[in-house]
Amino acid sequence: MDENKVAERRNYRLTRRRFLAVSSAAAAVAACGPAATPSPTGAATSTAAATASAGPALKIGQLLPFSKVYAELGASMRRASELYLKQKGGSLAGRPVTWVWEDEANDPVVGAQKTAKFIDQDRVDVMMGIVATPIAYAVRNAIDAAKLVFIETNAGGNALTRTTTDCKPSCKSKYIFRTSFSSYQISYPIGEYFATKKGVKEVFTFVSDYGFGNESAADFTAGLTKGGGKITGSLKAPLGSSDFLPYVTTLKGQPTKDIYSFFSGTDAINYIKAWTQLGMPALGYKMNGAGFLTEQDVLKEVKEQANGAVTSLFWAVTLDNAENKAFVDAYQKEFNLLPDVFAVQAWDGMQALDRALQATKGNTTDKDAFIAALESVKFKSPRGDFEFDKETHNPIQDMYIREVKVQGGQAVNTIVDKVARVTDPGK
Amino acid sequence: MTPETAVVQALNGISFGALLFILAAGLSLIFGMMDVVNLAHGAFYMLGAYITLTVVQRTGQFWLALMLAPLLIGALGLLMEPLLLRRLRGRHLDQVLLTIGVSLVIADLIGLTFGREIRSIPFPAGLDHAITIMGGDYPVYRLFVIAFGVALAVLLSVVHRRTRVGALIRAGVEDAPMLSALGVDIDRLFAVTFAVGAALAGLAGVIAAPVFGIYPGMDVDYLIYSLVVVVVGGLGTLSGAIAGAALVGPVDTFGKVLFPEFALALIFAIMALVLLMRPTGLLGRVRIAR
Repeated sequence: MDENKVAERRNYRLTRRRFLAVSSAAAAVAACGPAATPSPTGAATSTAAATASAGPALKIGQLLPFSKVYAELGASMRRASELYLKQKGGSLAGRPVTWVWEDEANDPVVGAQKTAKFIDQDRVDVMMGIVATPIAYAVRNAIDAAKLVFIETNAGGNALTRTTTDCKPSCKSKYIFRTSFSSYQISYPIGEYFATKKGVKEVFTFVSDYGFGNESAADFTAGLTKGGGKITGSLKAPLGSSDFLPYVTTLKGQPTKDIYSFFSGTDAINYIKAWTQLGMPALGYKMNGAGFLTEQDVLKEVKEQANGAVTSLFWAVTLDNAENKAFVDAYQKEFNLLPDVFAVQAWDGMQALDRALQATKGNTTDKDAFIAALESVKFKSPRGDFEFDKETHNPIQDMYIREVKVQGGQAVNTIVDKVARVTDPGK
Repeated sequence: MTPETAVVQALNGISFGALLFILAAGLSLIFGMMDVVNLAHGAFYMLGAYITLTVVQRTGQFWLALMLAPLLIGALGLLMEPLLLRRLRGRHLDQVLLTIGVSLVIADLIGLTFGREIRSIPFPAGLDHAITIMGGDYPVYRLFVIAFGVALAVLLSVVHRRTRVGALIRAGVEDAPMLSALGVDIDRLFAVTFAVGAALAGLAGVIAAPVFGIYPGMDVDYLIYSLVVVVVGGLGTLSGAIAGAALVGPVDTFGKVLFPEFALALIFAIMALVLLMRPTGLLGRVRIAR
């Protein structure tokens, strides 16, 4: 934060540059479309504070939610990023890291302003972060135009790593990598798995009514139908619906027992509580969904009420591999709490960046070489084998089918099956 | 929708309406008396929920929280009115801006103290089970919310119509300067009104905590609901808050079920319609410009 203040003060005198920064931010806000930023874009060489022995400082701009409903996700990603850097002694490939943190406030307009600041004012070498898909979509063009390498560490909207007609609502960019997941990856495989392996042929969908929830329902439906199953009906709840009793009453009034849901955070908690209150488990109804429905933040509040829920995700805190054990231990030791999937996504973002920098010997100025290096990173992540799909820059990863079980008085996601090497079908 | 489901949905709607009434009553009271739209109302509500969280975590006593939270938040209101709002009396826009500022400070202090995770608390003992209604389980706590809301409405109506304080409030709403000229200590009356309004928001926070979760941003979500309720019902009157809540709760619930695509817009559509047909709200007073 202090560096930010100093940078601001320094730039205060440079009125022309400030003018450019402010005006391009305004342009980005006004258009949110093809942002032809008027300012120079060479983000690398001119950073301040080069030290004598080590390489020049590496400026990483992280755009995360530090306020509003996703604040804890932002905090989690920040913790994981800082922990990774701490383990590497504060520098990556010999370049001491300077952080610039900005709050996206879960608002595409704010996200666009802060991205413009990273590009024009801070001139960061690499940008990371962004939780909400609409923000990622809103800044995609500005990042692409500025030729800024951006590692997306959460937002899972399919279009961010796909070729789409007229780039609507977004499309892949040479400069954008993603270390989290695409909506397809957490929704389609579990649909196909249900119809083929689990023998569940009829499912009712109930999802959060916004871009990502709808994508998840569509991808799940495609997977289930492919496997020979069918959807008997659907229901949607707006994001942030506090009262879930009316919805669960509706679910209870229809005969299909298996429900597929996409909810996260507060919505997931309120949904699961309403589910128990109306006695759904005793009537034979089964809760299923994308993994966020029963992630750590939800599970620690609803506990055994989520018992039996089947979800899919590319990670679980209980996942049995050496990297995950080391990661969970280190995180727990440093912060005295269990990591969540968001921490893993940020951790892998740092890991991918680190390895690419090793390959280019710390050079980020030659964009093509830097991108080629990122495209070929392969490593063992806490989630298992990690690599990017060179075509789309989305990860190729195993999806785990998990079931919430109560073990020793604690509700945990246990792994019951795995769909190996899931690749997003985008081109 | 089967008749059984319809009955259960009606209960859902009434219990949501009851909660909205508890929340909106305080906002309406403050506006009626002081002409201030208190935008810190959502923050008081949030504070009530976080006090509940603390008390339940420390002692496991939900009922203690139900006593303590309104008292503490009422005390905060009692301090805030003379220290802050009174200095800006008569400057409505400045007062509204001030309440926004206070709400931001409260929300951020809560964030600093409690962290920014989503929290939830169990239902209080005795109300954590379900009973059979129309052949299915129904949570007792929701019935308690309905009973609590109705009891509070009756209590407030009696105070409003039959007691000296109620007479003072009605007179203050009608013409505060005249009341002051008649020798009533209007400063004290304003401070008490603000404190009671704040306490009601805190009370709503306690009642809502086990059902709707406790999270950063809850202040804004419910401030909007309470504004819709008082605008629909009529600003500044108790009966308006009752009418608004009785309409918005069930409409919101049935809207979610029958027109899911339109759910969020529905209550705002109703609000727009009411404003067009009756600009003062369903039971609002006609205000004479002073």
